Amino acid sequence: MSINNVSKVVLIAKDEWRYWLRSKLAVTVLAIGLILTLSSVVVTAITMLELSHTRHELQTTSDKSFVDQPDRHPHRMVHYGHYAFRTPAPLSTLDPGIDAYTGNSIFLEGHRQNSAMFADSRQGTALTKLGSLTPAFIVQTLAPLLLILIGYSGISRERESQTLSYLLSQGTSGVTLIAGKGLALLSVVGLILTPLTVSALFTLGTDESLLAVVSFVVGYALYLTVWVLLILLASSVFSKNSGSFTALAFVWILLCIVMPRVASTTAAIVVPSAGKIETDFAVKADLRKLGDGHNTNDPAFEQFKQSLLKKYNVNSIDELPVNFRGLVASESEAKQTEVLNQFAQQRMQAELKQTQVSRYFGWVSPMVAIRSLSMIVVGTSIETHHRFLRETEQLRFDFVQGLNKVHIEELDYQDDMNRNADAAATKKARVSADNWKILQNFTFHSDSALVRAHRSTSAFLQLLLWIAVLAGGIKFVGKRLL
Amino acid sequence: MSYLFLHLKREFGFLLRQKYLVVLLLCTFAVSAFAVISGLSEVSQQRETIERLKSADLTERLNVQTQQTDAGMLAYYTFHLTYSAPSNLAFAALGERDIYPWKHRVNLLALEGQIYESDAQNPELAQAGKIDFAFVLSALAPLIVILLFHDLFANERTSGRYDLLVTTSSSYFALWGARILVRFILLLVCLMLPFYGGAYVAGSSIYDVLLITTMCVAYLVFWAALCIWMGKQASSAPRVASALIGIWVLVAFIIPILGDLAINKIVHSPKGGEIVLTQREAVNDAWDLPKQITMDAFVASNPQWKDHVDMQSEFEWKWYYAFQQVGDEKAAELSHAYRDAARKKYQLAGMVSWFSPALLLQRSLTRKAKTDAIAAFRYEHQIRGFHKCLREFYYPWLFIKGEPTKAALNNMPSFSKTILNEKDEPEVIGVQLK
Repeated sequence: MSINNVSKVVLIAKDEWRYWLRSKLAVTVLAIGLILTLSSVVVTAITMLELSHTRHELQTTSDKSFVDQPDRHPHRMVHYGHYAFRTPAPLSTLDPGIDAYTGNSIFLEGHRQNSAMFADSRQGTALTKLGSLTPAFIVQTLAPLLLILIGYSGISRERESQTLSYLLSQGTSGVTLIAGKGLALLSVVGLILTPLTVSALFTLGTDESLLAVVSFVVGYALYLTVWVLLILLASSVFSKNSGSFTALAFVWILLCIVMPRVASTTAAIVVPSAGKIETDFAVKADLRKLGDGHNTNDPAFEQFKQSLLKKYNVNSIDELPVNFRGLVASESEAKQTEVLNQFAQQRMQAELKQTQVSRYFGWVSPMVAIRSLSMIVVGTSIETHHRFLRETEQLRFDFVQGLNKVHIEELDYQDDMNRNADAAATKKARVSADNWKILQNFTFHSDSALVRAHRSTSAFLQLLLWIAVLAGGIKFVGKRLL
Repeated sequence: MSYLFLHLKREFGFLLRQKYLVVLLLCTFAVSAFAVISGLSEVSQQRETIERLKSADLTERLNVQTQQTDAGMLAYYTFHLTYSAPSNLAFAALGERDIYPWKHRVNLLALEGQIYESDAQNPELAQAGKIDFAFVLSALAPLIVILLFHDLFANERTSGRYDLLVTTSSSYFALWGARILVRFILLLVCLMLPFYGGAYVAGSSIYDVLLITTMCVAYLVFWAALCIWMGKQASSAPRVASALIGIWVLVAFIIPILGDLAINKIVHSPKGGEIVLTQREAVNDAWDLPKQITMDAFVASNPQWKDHVDMQSEFEWKWYYAFQQVGDEKAAELSHAYRDAARKKYQLAGMVSWFSPALLLQRSLTRKAKTDAIAAFRYEHQIRGFHKCLREFYYPWLFIKGEPTKAALNNMPSFSKTILNEKDEPEVIGVQLK
């Protein structure tokens, strides 16, 4: 494109802006759009920072109350357990994603893998089922509508008022005209994205990486570009303003309102997933074969007992230099955890498969694509929750086995066996509270920005494909513009 | 009659020749049908899951009973299934069942430690929301109405036929009434036909179907009237549609969002984490406290056991379960406040919904289908009631009689029986669950 053409494009864009500023509708729409985006950015940032703060605080309290427990029998601490809280990712101030839809705290104890508790949505008003005041929702769903409202007549208006043929006959090519109108719309996109970008840059101060921020902003820019192209195409193809408007409104309803829900509904039907309660039956059946770790006489531990006697070269468990009950607890915990992890892994795989099916709809709806892209890049997608579950499981296993180690090494077997005889015996079967320091402080971080960016590749490809197809379509139409 | 029919037939013919209207109506039908069919499949999946859980639960319970005989061990290892089966209308309004749990297993341990566990579905799908008939009707249908009705007058004006038509037509109805009626009836058919099919398959009651039909017609008439009224004077169709879509955005998004913000500011709820932490501290501290303190607290709320709380050894199951209950009692106040806050929020949201027809309709539908938060609160209430039954069943064996007999085990309380009995007590039904 020559310099001359570029200046023409800019001139057309400027003229479009002049038209918007003169029209009441366009100014109102622009103002509403900016107010919505700004307020969503502020409100969500405050909410998420508060949440993050609360959960950090609860985590500290929980860590402290564990370490502050008095002298006790170590196995009591296994059941006293520990709480872990999922602190939201820094960028979640822009897209809270699934944060409210899944429990944000988890109780960790011996022999069990609990599910996460206290999803905020269960304590909500159910008013935000259709949409919430988050930048993600505003930009994904409402911004396209605003772009349609100000842009639908871009070219069809010229045609309807018969200025189009005049413009074209004066040497402005169709493609240049469309490019000019497109530039004007893209500058609106820039306006909408500014509060988002500023807010995203702020997260750099709280340990978010530049890569994540850039992918986030670029993702949204691509998404809104898709809409700009759709608007330009419709406006060029339809001979009347009303035709262009109706078509665009219809496409918006289909892509932004209907498709995301069709995607999730289809996913749930195509890949049915058994709930936790249901898989728990299978888990229990498998666990029963392993024996009860509280009961040293369980026949399941006979072989383990024999191998121990052999290892320490003694004749009875009383002669062992270590606490046999602790050993059994530790052994059975390890075996149980293996089974539990295997089932947990299966459940996560099923959920991922479901999610994958719903993400495939990104090829037919850019809204679905940006939705997945945004949550993945921000770190509020299902993968992040799975990471939380895996990390807390590791935390659980480590502290339980740490306590079992204390049980094995610090507590005398005879004292342990007599623990229920009388109050004095109970008191004797305790270990010092210093041992509770084995607990490691827990802070949850989402996956590294690189991993997240890698995960979002297909969503990026979906958006790029949309852009390529639409740009091709516009070029085709632009050359035949009449 | 033939006069009316003639006009309708003519307008029907006109409509068929306008391709985009036909496409729009066909799409409406397709989306509505998809919503109903997927709703039916979701509900039947839920029913099947409950059936599978019931039989697995029974097998598991018998299994435990062959391995354990001691009352304390039985109570520790036996879990009891509770569930909330979907109603005959649930297919049309799946409601909050993807957020609130509808299945749960509990044992005799402290309930506050168990009841917040949720066997929720895929959160990423829950966040996107499901498409169900209630959504199609309350959120989507107004948009379709806008597309169908906004350009009635403007279209004729811009084509320059308006004045001619108005002066030559025999009556107002002959011209506009027939056109409006044809579009309205076709839209209604496309929306409702799948619902009627679904209602037949699901065996919903005629009364409910009629009621929902009335609500739908009223809702659609509201939107159609709004469109016609706004479109009457305007000459530019897109301008009318922009304003109408603006109203829709206001009603479907902005008002609910503002309401949500306000309600969350007004109603303060204790954090869920505090309840379980309180309960856990109470339960765990009991191990180190003198047994008498726990038993005194227990007897204070359960005086019927006061003659049976003496202990012979450092560990007895009756003491163990007593401190579990005391733990629940200590967390009770927080737990009540937590539930009250949720209820209060839902109630206030009901007031907000009077300003948003879309929400009002959605709430009415989920209420009818018993898939809303109130139904979930009620289910939680039932679980609590059932847990109380379990305590009443186990305590005599734990405190006095020792090993439960086979006959007693066969008569163990089950959730199905408990909710059957509950139906006889009308005071439990309704919003004011306490």
